Amino acid sequence: MGVQAAIEETSSAVPVISDVTFAELSIDPYPTFKRARELAAIVRIAAANIMIATRYEDIMAMERDAETFSSVNPQSLVNKVMGHTMMRKDGEAHARERKAVEPALRPGAVKSCWAPKLEAIFDDVMAGFETNGEADLFTTLAAPMAGRALAEVLGFLDVDWQTMALWSQSLIDGAGNYSSDSEISRKAAEAARGVEQAIDRALAYHRENPNMSVLSSMIHADDPHTLDQIYANIKVAVGGGLNEPRDSILTLVLGLLENPDQLERVKADPNLWPVAFEESVRWISPIGMYPRRVTRDVIFSGVQLRAGDQVGLCVGAANRDASRFQDPDRFDVFREKKSHLAFGAGPHFCAGTWVARHMVGRLVVPRLFERLKNLRLRDRADVRIQGWVFRGPTTLPVVWDV
Amino acid sequence: MPNITFILPDGKEQGCTARDGLSLMEVALQNAVPGIIAECNGSAACATCHIVVDDALAPMLDPISEHESDMLDFTAAPRAPGSRLSCQIKVDGRVDGATIRIPAEV
Ligand code: HEM
Ligand code: FES
Repeated sequence: MGVQAAIEETSSAVPVISDVTFAELSIDPYPTFKRARELAAIVRIAAANIMIATRYEDIMAMERDAETFSSVNPQSLVNKVMGHTMMRKDGEAHARERKAVEPALRPGAVKSCWAPKLEAIFDDVMAGFETNGEADLFTTLAAPMAGRALAEVLGFLDVDWQTMALWSQSLIDGAGNYSSDSEISRKAAEAARGVEQAIDRALAYHRENPNMSVLSSMIHADDPHTLDQIYANIKVAVGGGLNEPRDSILTLVLGLLENPDQLERVKADPNLWPVAFEESVRWISPIGMYPRRVTRDVIFSGVQLRAGDQVGLCVGAANRDASRFQDPDRFDVFREKKSHLAFGAGPHFCAGTWVARHMVGRLVVPRLFERLKNLRLRDRADVRIQGWVFRGPTTLPVVWDV
Repeated sequence: MPNITFILPDGKEQGCTARDGLSLMEVALQNAVPGIIAECNGSAACATCHIVVDDALAPMLDPISEHESDMLDFTAAPRAPGSRLSCQIKVDGRVDGATIRIPAEV
């Protein structure tokens, strides 16, 4: 369905869901997403004071119409915290910056350059806990793996994963600091400074030694980034390139441990690992929602929107749209193959997709199951999954035979 | 408007007219051509809009950029001599009468 089909003649005001608390959304957003999907194309969630789109076809239509549903938002907190990032630009301005970043992240670079480096990081991370027989995979595996991988790919020379994790979380919190909490603002500003200083320390090296890293790509591009563009776009990558692989590692492990029959079939046919990864990010999408700004008055799928409105594109909801995915709440590697929206769509389609696919779906999770014998959940009741704008397991205690 | 014929993964043919200025990917989506997924909606970032153009058309098109070429090495169906990302080819007189194959995944 194209935009023409979605923009109709009849319209109504945006309905409101007002009986769900923020805490309830964070614990389990999916019942609310389902209600919203059934109610209208765009629904206001009172507890979060935000309008959301939850249907697959609607979000696709919005992503195909960047003129009406723009990423540009001068007032956004992201811009305040990170500067003028490519994530909040449209058209030519976005394309120019994206092009300078791309050589570091495309599939050829992943295969020839990042795959062996990520493998070395994985081996080192595993060596730290492999003989323990039990662990919380959040702290022992997923967080260090994602943090160290991101530092490597970006081209930081001297930043440990704990610092990466702190910066990432502080920038994300700052970008979502709608209540202007001064402590959150302070931490975000401190993280932003930390990222800038790490860039300053690394730039001379990358100038003299062109390589595959994101920093090197930015400065050696035909149309190179200015220092301000480097700062802003590296901050976006720090904020947006750590949680998602971390959370999808844990989600994929959880989905398979809860479905041993599927795990056996995937282990028996390693070609299924990439499919299993895609299913994990469909099932629990690490980025549940991202914003767009409406640029003109428009009736969209029967709902009246006004210029200046903000709409959250809830891909975490669209990826469980029953009109596209049968039995959508179920983790099922063997469901009918269909594309999902976990990496977005359109011009801002995740720049890190190929790195994430390789790291999570071809390296970390398959190798984990190879190396830890009889891996199982310690107790399903101990697993915590949290969030709706960003969502993933926050603790995953497991045991294995040693 | 240029006429083009898609040869589908199962070997069947599907003819359509294409509006100038659209990409071949958009034409394929408008006509619900199976096998063109286009996850990234034309950003040359997903490699799910793979087509194979015929020998007559290939040399007439704008050359393959380094970025497109990298993506073409990672399509689901293996790369062939006429392989392109359909989102990177705009419809104009050059594609009139062309046959465009949608490769089958193996
Ligand atoms: C499973 C892992 C990941 C998921 C689910 C994910 C998801 C997303 C989504 C949904 C967007 C679109 C946001 C929008 O349109 O506003 C995005 C953009 C982006 N992602 Fe990812 N991401 C992942 C991993 C990564 C990694 C590892 C990196 C860095 C190496 C990265 C870097 C970026 C960048 C730079 C953008 C902005 C692209 C642009 O504006 O053109 N992502 N990601
Ligand atoms: S539509 Fe994604 S590469 Fe062409």
